[in-house]
Amino acid sequence: MRKSETLASAERTLADHSPDTRTGFAALVRLHQSMVFSIALHFLADRPAAEELAQDVFLQLHANLPNLKSEDHVKFWLRKVTAHRCIDHKRRRKLPQVSIEEIAEPSAPTRSVDPLLQRKLRQVIASLPEKPRLVMILRYQEDMEPEEIAEALAMPVATVRSHLQRSLALLREKVSRSIGEVTI
Amino acid sequence: MTDKNTNQVEHELKHALSRQEAPPDFADKMLARVGEQHSMSTVMSHSRWKVFTRPLIRWAAITATAASLAIGGIHYRNVQRERSKGEAAKQQLMLALRIAGSKLQLAKARVNEINATQAANR
Repeated sequence: MRKSETLASAERTLADHSPDTRTGFAALVRLHQSMVFSIALHFLADRPAAEELAQDVFLQLHANLPNLKSEDHVKFWLRKVTAHRCIDHKRRRKLPQVSIEEIAEPSAPTRSVDPLLQRKLRQVIASLPEKPRLVMILRYQEDMEPEEIAEALAMPVATVRSHLQRSLALLREKVSRSIGEVTI
Repeated sequence: MTDKNTNQVEHELKHALSRQEAPPDFADKMLARVGEQHSMSTVMSHSRWKVFTRPLIRWAAITATAASLAIGGIHYRNVQRERSKGEAAKQQLMLALRIAGSKLQLAKARVNEINATQAANR
């Protein structure tokens, strides 16, 4: 199914308020699965746990579909619920940290990237506290503006900006210490 | 750190945190779970109410409800009866205590009177 058809089918599902429409819901899942899965994966650094969490998010979406009005609303809702479920998951189960190296490398780089630096960055992100980690994931994975992140995570915009600044400073410090200032 | 370096870090970050593909069977698994949940809830809601459409079950349910109401009513009456008996016993006890108290007062007054007479004779 092409992306435009998928989107159209998903929008029909939303317009009809019919969560039992299998194809429509499947379209919604296919449209957003990589977003939800990636947020969970970058946050948990654990592929099976990320998949399970993503499935739980979509089950919740299925139950809440009649309350969601548009494609943007679904996207916002998914990001918000995934973020909150990530924090809940981490708090509920103090999981042993799986090595960040297990996370697959991105398949199609747009510009030349340093694999060593990429790995180090993912390690530092995984070591951040829960909220700054989520803020960084939503900012750099989802390209969300601080205002959007603030709305999704129910926190003041100033706090989001502060998390971003501090996390970036920490990243620069840690990465430059281990790889060398020349690299970045 | 220069702006160029900042941009480079942000570029590297975007790359490090780029979206990953979900497992290929993710959507199928998801739909299977939704299907399971849907059929489970349908079966539960059907089995919950459908059973009452059978005449025997319906009469059994009506009889059970009537029996529960009757037993409840009898129990309530018994409790009320016990309570009123208790109230009557309490009233009787209070009366007995009042009578005993007034008798004691009389006896005390009599003793005081005898003591006073004896003191006067001495």
